[in-house]
Order: sequence, then C-alpha cells, then structure tokens
Amino acid sequence: MSRKRALIADTFCLTKRRRCAADSVTDGAADIRSSLQYLMTMFSRKLFNDSLPPVVLKHQLYSLHNDKTSVDKQVNELRENGELLMFQLGFDSEAFALVFAEDYRTKVLQGEAGRETLGTVEKFLAKLIPGCSDLSFNKEKMLKEFLFTDPEITQLVKSGVLTVRDAGSWWLSIPNSGKFIKYFIKGRKAVLGVVKKSKYGEILKTELEGRRTTSQVKFQMKYHIHDIMGAELVECIQTTSGTLLRYVDGNVN
Amino acid sequence: MLSFLYARQSGLDDPVRLRRAESTRRVLSLKLNHNRDVDRIHGNGINTLDIEVIDGRYMLSGGSDGVIVIYDLENNSKKPQYTCKAICTVGRSSRHVHKFSVETVQWYPHDTGMFVSSSFDKTMKVWDTETLKPAEEFQFDGNVYCHHMSPVARRHSLVAGVFSDQTKPSACELVNVSLTGHRGEILSVRWSPRYDHILATASTDSRVRIWDVRRASGSLFTLDQHNGDKSKVSSEAVNTAHNGRVNGLCFTADGLHLLSTGTDDRMRLWNSGTGENTLVNYGKVVNESRKGLKFTVSRGCSPEFVFVPCGSSVAVYGLHSGELITMLRGHYNNVDCCEFHPDYQELYSGGKDCNILAWVPVLRQPGIEDDETNSKRGGTQAAINPAFEDAWSSDED
Repeated sequence: MSRKRALIADTFCLTKRRRCAADSVTDGAADIRSSLQYLMTMFSRKLFNDSLPPVVLKHQLYSLHNDKTSVDKQVNELRENGELLMFQLGFDSEAFALVFAEDYRTKVLQGEAGRETLGTVEKFLAKLIPGCSDLSFNKEKMLKEFLFTDPEITQLVKSGVLTVRDAGSWWLSIPNSGKFIKYFIKGRKAVLGVVKKSKYGEILKTELEGRRTTSQVKFQMKYHIHDIMGAELVECIQTTSGTLLRYVDGNVN
Repeated sequence: MLSFLYARQSGLDDPVRLRRAESTRRVLSLKLNHNRDVDRIHGNGINTLDIEVIDGRYMLSGGSDGVIVIYDLENNSKKPQYTCKAICTVGRSSRHVHKFSVETVQWYPHDTGMFVSSSFDKTMKVWDTETLKPAEEFQFDGNVYCHHMSPVARRHSLVAGVFSDQTKPSACELVNVSLTGHRGEILSVRWSPRYDHILATASTDSRVRIWDVRRASGSLFTLDQHNGDKSKVSSEAVNTAHNGRVNGLCFTADGLHLLSTGTDDRMRLWNSGTGENTLVNYGKVVNESRKGLKFTVSRGCSPEFVFVPCGSSVAVYGLHSGELITMLRGHYNNVDCCEFHPDYQELYSGGKDCNILAWVPVLRQPGIEDDETNSKRGGTQAAINPAFEDAWSSDED
C-alpha cells in the first residue's frame, strides 16, 4: 500500500518548487563521498608543494545538497567508519575541515619522513584513524587511554599533528595548515568583495566563475564559491538565467 | 483531496489523516490576503501577540508604547473583505496603562476573563477584561523581559516571569519561588504544554535550563548543543546551547520537543525529555534581536512547521527536516512576533512597522490541483465539471 507510506506533504507539490531551476548537483539519496571527491579536485595541491592533503570544508557540502541534516548525518557516519577526519579550524567555531583519512595519513608520514618524531606520530595515527572521532584531546585521555608520555606529546605538538587549545588540551590539526588558513581567509574576503562591489551587490554564479581572480585569491574560484554559498555568506536566488549570488549585509567580513 | 475524502468515508484511513492533510496544504499556501487586515491602533512597534485558546476569536497585542489592544478575529460580516476590529484598548489615556514598552501579553489559559501583561516599567499586571483595570500588580526590581503562564496547569496558577537586575544574579521568579542558576539575564521563559511542572528558560549566558518547579533546588539539566561531546569546541563554550545569546524558546504542541534560537544565527531542536540536541540543521536563521524573539510552531499539520521572524520577513521551516519552505515577505521593518491560529491555519505577525499582518491560506483553485492528485492516484472523477466546459476554448495546461 504505497499510499499509506507516502508523506502527506508530498501529495501537495508547491507550485513554487516546480518553477525553480534545479541547479544543485544531486538531491534525494545523495552520495556524500562523491561530492567530497568532486570538491577535493578543486583543491590546488601544488600551491602547498604537495605537503597538504586535499582539504574540504563541511559547509561546502551544503551548497551541493539541499538537505543539511542528512549531509550532517552522512558525514558523521563516514567519520565513525574511520574514513573521514574532521578538524576544527581556528577562525570560525562553525567551520570544520574534512580530510580523507588515507590522504591524511600519507601526507603526514611523508612530511615526517626522516625526522625523529616519526615513531611517535605513527603511533598516534595508528590510534587515531580506525577508532577515534574526536576533535580535541585532553591530558587524561592522552596519558591514560592512548598511553603517551609528556615528551611524546611535546613531539606531537612539534610535528604539527596537535595544536594547543588551552592548558592541558589539544586540537587535532593538519600539519602545515597555517598557510592554507591564511590563503583561504584572504581568498574568501576577496571573492566576497567582488560580489559586494558588483552592481546592486549581486552577480550571477556563472559570471563570477568566469571572472579573473586577483592575486589575493590563490584557490580556484569554484572552491570559494561553494564555500560562500554553503556558509550562507551570500544569498542564493534561483533565476531563469541560473543562480544569482547576492551579498548579505549582516556579514562580519 | 478527493482520494483522502473517499478513504475517510470508506474507513480506510483514520479521520485525523484527512484533517492533517488539509491543514498541511493550507499552511503550505500561506499568503498575504488583501481581503483581510487588522486594525492599526499601535503608534509604535508591536512586541507581542497572543490568541486565546478557548475560541480562537480574540487576539491581544502589546506594543512598545505601552498600549494593549484586543482584536476580534472572527468575520461576522458576510463579505470576504474584513478588517479585524479592535474591540477595546488600554491606551495612553488610561490611568493604569504601562509606562514603558509592553514586552509580553498572555490570555489567562482557561478563559478570556483576564490577561497578564509585563513590561519594561518593572511591573506585571493582571487585568480584568471586562473593566480593563488591573486586578493585581506585581512589582519587580528589573525590566521584565518575558512571562508565561502554563497552558495546561490545573493544580497551580503560577506565572513565571524573568527580569533583569543589576545587583543580584538574574532569577526566574514565580510567586514567592525564586529559581537561581543562570549567570546572565534571562530573555525567555516557557512552560511545557505537556507537564505542568516543567519550565524552560533561555539566557544571555548561552544556556537553556529546564526546571522542575516542584523542587526549586536547581535546574534539572542544561541543554548542550554538542550532546556531551566536549571535544568539539573551545573550553569556554562547553555545555552551552548556542554560541551566543539565546533569545527565543518555543515548545512544540505536544511538548516533546523544544526549539531555541540564538544570536549565533542558529535554531536548534531539542528533545525536551532528555535534553538531547536532535541535530536538525536549519541553516542560518538570521537573528539580530537584542531582546527576546517570539516565534511559533504550527499545530495539527504533518509535518509541523516553524514560523520564525527573520529580519523583516517570516521564515517557514519544516520542523524535523530543517528545510526552508518559504519566506513570508510583507512587513516594512523588523518582525518581532508571530502567532499561529490553529483552527484556521492563519498566521498573524507584528513588527516595528506598527502593522499586524494576517497570512491566510490561499483558496484552492478549481480544476488544476484535482488534475494533479487524480493523475497520481488514478482517481475516477473528471477534472472539470461538465457544466463549465464550453465548446470553443481549448484545454490549457
């Protein structure tokens, strides 16, 4: 009896929904993994001399899929399976970076090769990747659960895998990510400036993708566009000519 | 629609399913109707609206000028064009009017003989509707931000009021019972519509606390947005409901869930029994209000909808899915409060532009939607009544 299982709201299609241009890449049963891979292709590796794994921000996924709650659920599932790692970047309490676990492991070990901290880092990664999905660690956890000693924790901080959060606790972090965050924030500000300076403070998405990037913007334009759309720093309006991005006034930037 | 009627008639479906389906359809088609408006009495912004629960006929509004107005929402004239008239007003000329802005008004939950209003002049007054004189007046030490009376309480008639005070830590004060625990001003308070002893408060220290008034020793629990996962945030933000001030609270009609909005531009849905964050992501819910925000949840639909004032429009979200259904635009300035009328599925919203707007479901267009539902279900009724068919016009889609 398919009628009994159908949601009541599905029966009444909103005429407004029918008229909207379907601009998003997928809908319904979405595959987050393929979206993540698509976004990671936009990450410019050679900018960092190949020392960073491809990083994607969680809110960039919101620009590709309509249902934010299901995106969150699927991301958490992938984290629990140990395929995806999430990091808290310093600049915004809501901005989380996602990296595939395998990429993270290869890049960190590649960066550590030849240094004396290699053994400790390997031990940490072995503990981290299959089981743990935390973003930060405090002292009891490191000492008791993971059985690290104080000098080993210092080595981990030196290698960049942990950064200081406050006295006695650390964030999980990506080594050499400082440059990434710096370029990212500058690029985001520059792209938002382009939108703001356009006539009426709005610009078609396709036109923005075609604009020449200034020297401030180091990443691909599409990467930044997904970022500002997903973080709702611009309002996305569906028009007959495509998606229009309008600058939202209440921004901090 | 016809399939729903047929199923109810033949007993295949529960009677309430037809009612829910029609309520949902009506809420999805809310629009500003030029036939219906509300008398404009207030000279300054409108802070609060309340519709009485007994008949759904009378609406109270309180404004920034201290004026309280009662409107009659029922349309007794036989014409579709109708203005909701103001029956009586506690205006600036009345001896008992509040000196400063009225922040919250609420009808007495069991009849319309009295209502309670609280204001920035540090008083809460209980009014007699017949004579429009206050029967009782409570003095406080600070501005009263919000008050609420329990809609289901039979055993007690407590009014919970929250106020700011410079000398003491802020407390939620009932009649002679003081609940302490918040470290900042409390901006909103709500009783649970399910249990008459459960109370929720929201404050500027980013916390939402749930209290049981039968034991005034401390709060039952605090709502934590990360559900105990202390690793996700910086240490100061542990155990908070929002990353900024929490300024709006609303229970769903069955009392099982609680919604809170905060100045971090987020709205969160909580399980009111366990205090767990259900992690429904509504996206950015713009919230710049410095005092409490009054928002509301629909009743009797499936799925339920949340109506939140966002800047100068009202945003409608699906309660459990988190998706933005539509934005109701029509106000000229910030919207401060909105109230849902459950019997007619109408929404009334008031704001700084001194207008109360009525959002009314659009009447069903004959022919078009019957085509849709019939083609989906394979119904047997003809789409257009043969009496309206004529020989010279062609079918248009």
